Amino acid sequence: MITPILIASAVLVVGAVLALALPGNRARAAAALASQGVATVLVLSAVVPLLRGGGSIGGSAPWSYPVETISLRVDALSAFFLSWSLPMTFLGTIYAVGYLEPYFARGRNGGPHYALLNITSLAFLIVYSVQNALLFLLGWEIAAVAAWLLVIWDYKSQKIRFAGFNYLVSTHVGLFVLVAAFMLMYAQTGSMDFASFATILAKPSRLRTAAFLLLGVSFALKSAFFPFHTWLPRAHSAAPAHVSALMSGVIHKAGLFAFLRFTLFLEQPEEWMGWGVLTFGALSALFGVLYTSAQRDMKRLLGYSSTENVGIAAMGFGVGYLGMCWHKPTLVALGFGGGLLHLFNHAAFKCLLFYAAGAVYRQTHTVDLERLGGLFRRMPRTGVMFLLGALAISGLPPLNGFVSELVIYSGLLSSAAPSSSGNVALVCAAALLAFVGGVSALSMVRAFGVAFLGQSREPTRSEPHEAPTLMLVPMYAQTVLVVLFGLVPASALAVTRNAAALFGGSSPEVERTLAPLQTATTVLVVVATAIAAVGLWSGRKARRHVTWGCGYTAGNRRMQYTGSSFSAQFASIFAGFLPELRRERLPTEVFPKEHGQIATHHVDAVERRMFEVLGQGEDMVTHASEKIPEQPRFAFAAGLFAILLLVGILVGAAR
Amino acid sequence: MILLHLVALAVLPILVIGAINRTKSLWAGRKGQPLLQLGYDLVRLVRKRAVYSSVTTFLFRLMPYVLLATSLVSGFIVPILGVRAPIAFPLDFVWFAYVWGLGRVALMLGALDTGSSFEGMGASREATFAALLEPALFLVAGAVCLQTGERSFEGVLLLHADSHLVWLGSVVTLFVIVQVESARMPIDDPTTHLELTMVHEVMILDHSGPELAALQAGSAIKLTVGLGLIATLCNPLVGRAAWPVVAAMNAALCLLLAIAVGTVESLIARLKLRAVPQYILVALIAAGAALLATTFRGGAG
Repeated sequence: MITPILIASAVLVVGAVLALALPGNRARAAAALASQGVATVLVLSAVVPLLRGGGSIGGSAPWSYPVETISLRVDALSAFFLSWSLPMTFLGTIYAVGYLEPYFARGRNGGPHYALLNITSLAFLIVYSVQNALLFLLGWEIAAVAAWLLVIWDYKSQKIRFAGFNYLVSTHVGLFVLVAAFMLMYAQTGSMDFASFATILAKPSRLRTAAFLLLGVSFALKSAFFPFHTWLPRAHSAAPAHVSALMSGVIHKAGLFAFLRFTLFLEQPEEWMGWGVLTFGALSALFGVLYTSAQRDMKRLLGYSSTENVGIAAMGFGVGYLGMCWHKPTLVALGFGGGLLHLFNHAAFKCLLFYAAGAVYRQTHTVDLERLGGLFRRMPRTGVMFLLGALAISGLPPLNGFVSELVIYSGLLSSAAPSSSGNVALVCAAALLAFVGGVSALSMVRAFGVAFLGQSREPTRSEPHEAPTLMLVPMYAQTVLVVLFGLVPASALAVTRNAAALFGGSSPEVERTLAPLQTATTVLVVVATAIAAVGLWSGRKARRHVTWGCGYTAGNRRMQYTGSSFSAQFASIFAGFLPELRRERLPTEVFPKEHGQIATHHVDAVERRMFEVLGQGEDMVTHASEKIPEQPRFAFAAGLFAILLLVGILVGAAR
Repeated sequence: MILLHLVALAVLPILVIGAINRTKSLWAGRKGQPLLQLGYDLVRLVRKRAVYSSVTTFLFRLMPYVLLATSLVSGFIVPILGVRAPIAFPLDFVWFAYVWGLGRVALMLGALDTGSSFEGMGASREATFAALLEPALFLVAGAVCLQTGERSFEGVLLLHADSHLVWLGSVVTLFVIVQVESARMPIDDPTTHLELTMVHEVMILDHSGPELAALQAGSAIKLTVGLGLIATLCNPLVGRAAWPVVAAMNAALCLLLAIAVGTVESLIARLKLRAVPQYILVALIAAGAALLATTFRGGAG
């Protein structure tokens, strides 16, 4: 029954209160960890049977106006999201204890931070189980505000406050759109229950189209799809590492959860919706990955890669939509199964990568790739885990990222479309996904190679060493997920089977497709292990010497290839999408007296354009108003007319 | 049949490299090295003691073997002899592309581990070209899927000259893919002596002994797998004769293709690095044409 979920919520609230009330950071951490641990176990005990056997659990209780009844329902879809959201938040809290240690040493109170992490878990329980729009908005808003407060942990820095504010504004723009969608449906049904919304969404109508678009935009903003991603890289580079990890890997998956929740209400989506979701996902994946290729800041890079990965998942959902339109249960299973699996996989490796980046930050006090280097020798465990995460995020076998991408490819290349031009479009989407994979490999090799390999590029104040155990433990746990679900693809698919079945997908075909993958994976691992063992054994007596410098023997650390130079050729091909910001003071005379300076950054094209419009907006309005004749009455009438027109369109859509 | 496939995977690479080098020698008016020279080289390198740069970590030692393993495993999936490969499953070409990707990443990481600017430069070029090339393979694979209705390398065995445009587009694309992936002319000159212009060769500058042997064997196998795939596409006997005949024909075609590669290499200068993306565009266009050709047929039929 639903009882474990309710108890878990209560435990989380008690834990949050204790974290605020108890004296001493140790006791506060213990309260948060204990309550989250208990809640995680309770929730898992409730949802794991749902993942294995399907069905749903639920319950309802009366409440005062305007909600009237609180009805909770956990089906396979909610169970899937809950099954990893809470455990990963728990791991993030463990990491926080280690990561925030230096702040605590300076006397900072960790209570509110721990309480907010508890509240985030609580928000998942609300958002993933309620069946009423008002309660849903409540959970949605709790998650958003908690995330904002978590981001501005270092609130004394103006830059971080700005990043937090940017996030707060963006997320509320999304909220307004969401409220608009809900109001539109409420106006028709007079009820805020999802069940009544379902009656509107079930059949094609203009209202359904309007609601679908509004919901889509709002959820895309939440999950940081292109071009609504501008808040994300800023927030992710400003937040503490575990907050970035949780936001990117777990919290923002709520947007896609909500999208899928409302998809279930569309009995039969229209074909344009499927193509729309697919295109939107593909654009997100493409631009997200292009931006990762030239970033200097490791955490910004990882932030953009979230945009890429939610895009890949959305491509899967688009395929699922098309499968629903064309009545192909296999395609539905491949699309939604692959997309859901990719969300989970992304949570696994993205948290891992952010944790590793946080470990780097703790040791070197920077995440600027151009200042790092040679960390692999200093922090071998972090290095190996970052490498595994990087390979997984590039979709390389035998790790988990490959499995979900293969399932999505399987949908794209199934030649299931009724028309041959549809099939060609799907193949082109597959080719685009391949390009995204290639660029992702470039960015990740660059990030890992520049930061961890070679020699350090700048002298550090103190010698970096391995991260503390409390930070390593969550990384180990995430690494196990990354490796396990890669080596045993069938287990990964089993997790999403029932959730995909909700959409009408049938999976025997999928499992038959993936069964031989196990053989191939085993062969690859066995062959690679055997060859590497023999090879490493035979090279044990090697000598050491300097790196070959073409006869030049005075090379130094600053002469290594940098991150910018690594991506220069690629960035020059896509210069249109990767605007480069240069700050330079070059020496002019033949014998310069001063040192020259040059710094380059690749800025966000969308954000730059947005700020351009905002910055010149006043001029543009002035310019436009100059064209209006000098009669205020006329201008007033024109404005009124425009507003009336807008309202008319909205009302028309509501009909 | 599986045994023959494995033997071919071990022997053909040596012969293919030998054939290419012999062709180049003949064009240059030299007698040339023995056909089995790569085999001798490998044995010699394996017996040598390696020297590692003091900057490197164990990744540097591990990565060449990862490359060798990925090349070998990719050889198990591709029907290089014109008959069913030992491991064949739906979407095996996706697996193949990503296994090659893993090998490429291994090579780049090994290069970056030395902290050498030259090797970083090579890795950057390799990563850029590979990313641009990746869609071409998938477009061609998609075209073959749509044409034959088979979602694996089996499709290659079914595709024949009955669909001229799809076939031609596939062959052209695969040829460019092989040239780029195995660092042959006109993308990269395997015999160049200037580090600044190298792509593949510069990434293995610091490797020596058994690791260098692994890298050389790995690249040779990769080249052979690519040529074997093209040979299967071109082989008129596939599916029409007993399998030993098909296999023999395919091996011969593979060596013929090696001669073609050697000839191209002797007659054409390498492209400027800036022009390489445009050359890759040729592959993309050919692949796109093959894909569009499938709709044309589908629409007509």
